[in-house]
Amino acid sequence: MDDLLAARATMGFSLGFHIIFAAVGMTMPFFMSAAHYYFLKKKDEEFLELTKMWMKGVAILFAVGAVSGTVLSFELGLLWPGFMKHAGAIIGMPFSWEGTAFFLEAVAIGLFLYGWKRMKPWVHWGTGLLVGISGFASGIFVVAANGWMNAPSGFDWVNGQAVNIDPVAAMFNKAWFHQTLHMQLAALQAVGFAVGGIHAFLYLRGKAQSLHLKAMKIALSFGAVAAIAQPFVGHFAAQRVAVLQPAKLAAMEGHFKTEKGASLYIGGIPDVETQTMKWGIPLPGLLSFLAFDDFNAEVKGLDQFPRELWPPVVITHISFQVMVALGTAMAALGVLFLILLRKDRWPAWFLKLLVLFIPMGFVALEAGWIVTEVGRQPWIIYGIMKTRDAVTPVPGMKYHFYLFLFVYLALSFITVWLLRRQILAAQRKFEG
Amino acid sequence: MVEVLLFFIGASLLLYVLLGGADYGAGILEMLPAGEHRHAQKKVINEAMGPVWEANHMWLILVVVILFMGFPLVFTTLMTSLHTPMVALLLGIVVRGCAFTFRHYDAIQEPHSQKVYTVLFAASSLWTAFWLGVIAASLNRGAVDLTALNFYDAYVAPWWGLYPTAMGVFVICIFAFLASVYLVGETVSAELRKLFLRRAYFFNIAVMVSGGLVFAASAFENRYLFTAFFRNPLTVSMMAMATLLFVLLWFFIRKSRTLLTRAVAAGQVALILAGWYLLHAPNALITQQGPISFYDAAAPEATLQQLVVALVVGSVFIFPSLFYLLKVFKSDSAQKF
Repeated sequence: MDDLLAARATMGFSLGFHIIFAAVGMTMPFFMSAAHYYFLKKKDEEFLELTKMWMKGVAILFAVGAVSGTVLSFELGLLWPGFMKHAGAIIGMPFSWEGTAFFLEAVAIGLFLYGWKRMKPWVHWGTGLLVGISGFASGIFVVAANGWMNAPSGFDWVNGQAVNIDPVAAMFNKAWFHQTLHMQLAALQAVGFAVGGIHAFLYLRGKAQSLHLKAMKIALSFGAVAAIAQPFVGHFAAQRVAVLQPAKLAAMEGHFKTEKGASLYIGGIPDVETQTMKWGIPLPGLLSFLAFDDFNAEVKGLDQFPRELWPPVVITHISFQVMVALGTAMAALGVLFLILLRKDRWPAWFLKLLVLFIPMGFVALEAGWIVTEVGRQPWIIYGIMKTRDAVTPVPGMKYHFYLFLFVYLALSFITVWLLRRQILAAQRKFEG
Repeated sequence: MVEVLLFFIGASLLLYVLLGGADYGAGILEMLPAGEHRHAQKKVINEAMGPVWEANHMWLILVVVILFMGFPLVFTTLMTSLHTPMVALLLGIVVRGCAFTFRHYDAIQEPHSQKVYTVLFAASSLWTAFWLGVIAASLNRGAVDLTALNFYDAYVAPWWGLYPTAMGVFVICIFAFLASVYLVGETVSAELRKLFLRRAYFFNIAVMVSGGLVFAASAFENRYLFTAFFRNPLTVSMMAMATLLFVLLWFFIRKSRTLLTRAVAAGQVALILAGWYLLHAPNALITQQGPISFYDAAAPEATLQQLVVALVVGSVFIFPSLFYLLKVFKSDSAQKF
């Protein structure tokens, strides 16, 4: 494994790992606050039980998110000093705000976790909500920074140096809005479906059904609304990509030849050698329409770009299809959920479907990030700096890779094991 | 602007050492045999650290963010030349934060898994503190070689040696000393107070001995540092004051003045940290090719301005909420003032 590949792989799984915990940390406090709110309003002990169950989950996942986020802030320099040397001054601003928001989140979570008997109930409730708000804000700042890598702005690039730096313009780059909107909804959606699905599973097991039903309703209300909004936001995001990064869009769609009235492919595997799409179902004109609201619009294909500037087409395309397919299914499930919620009837087949969808929101989330990151290659700063020019000169990066791979695999295993123990302990309590 | 940022870096580092450092120290204390008090000690540490450790950890993140936004050259040079100690530090941070949280929030509390968490928490506290010291020493050691052509000179020599090792041990002792002094005020049990006082005595001596070792090691391997130290009257007087304050510290401990004791211990550590920084101010890093000063490495003015705005606005939110956090959780111990 060469150093560049090892560094990319390390960054890839560090981000892929962190994003799960970050998504939980910035959305689950809202579910928790909703349950806590109902407890304070209705004095129904089940809501208190639920708040505390979720709180323990948040505590564990937040801690893993905090330390894996620390790893990332160091890795920016450990793996990509060539990038940070220039980018730090340009795009540090959202990180400095993220630091502030994250700091507030850390204070708020300390207050909420340990403050049950030490604060007035509604003040205590407010600290829980603050965990969510500041977490959500951190997420927006970090994704805005990523947006800059896709649509760099706020500087002039002269002879390999950034001049006329404007950090505000860099933060509000052309990709920040659609990316943050898309990601924040994705987090709500992924966590809503995962938590809702776990409670659907526990409901089906037959114990403490009324509690699990309450839990499922809260979590999925967030998840369903986000899932229904997501296809529209996703469409908007794709239209922005079509303008900002046509090569990425072409890779996402497996679109090799520039043409008017371009077809959209459902499924299929792009064959890079013959520059054709295999086994896909073409829908003529639809890609042009989706990208530019016009069935006859010209969509740039990969043929517009020199071969060495192509992103890995197969990975980008398949990840994109996975994301879209799961997103569509979740939007449908979301509509179904809202209908069933009005009737308050919960047929077993629907609950079983929810169980099946426990991991799907996260799969879609990861797939989406693969599209964003792999689809930007070979660039680290789109159109400005190649990833290979940013990598650290330190040799032997594969050992770094193995080390962190081992640590993160172990942590994933332990986290799942711990969450399982939480659920087991809760179940045991309901039995006895 | 650079001065304002230097103030924020200094303040964040100080708070990280005083607050986060004590959390490391608590973990280090759990390595020592405590016999029948083991369980009670764990409980006190859990209660003292639980609500605050995430916030205390944030000071380090803040330093990292200020460095990479305001002084990118310092950040990237550190992350390249000191790659290995940084990775070691990160590893420790990950294991430590997880082990501490998991120990508390594992839904099924059983002796075996609790022991594993405790061992991991304690060992990683010691480990991380050590590497913090190594990194601190490497900043002013002058062994970073920006033009090195072989692996050893470029990535090992900057941090490998007696002086960084001694500094690592020194930082371990300082953190354990701070934790012992703070923890005395966190419990009402006379037995436990005695235990923490014994620890405070022990680490008081350990701080002095290892501090001497740091000087001996730096003199042994790097004359520049040693002479620079004695040439700077401010640094010398700070170290002298830090040492003399031990008399006051033990006076307050005898009188059971919890807050004053903590304030003196914190003051001593602040003096040591300030003295260490003054040795090479306003340089961030000494390399074989000369020093890299914060002024040379600073980002353009527009960036620095935005960074200061974020820090000032952030402070307006963070400090009141931090005070509130301390008020909610630490007011019991303050009553013994």
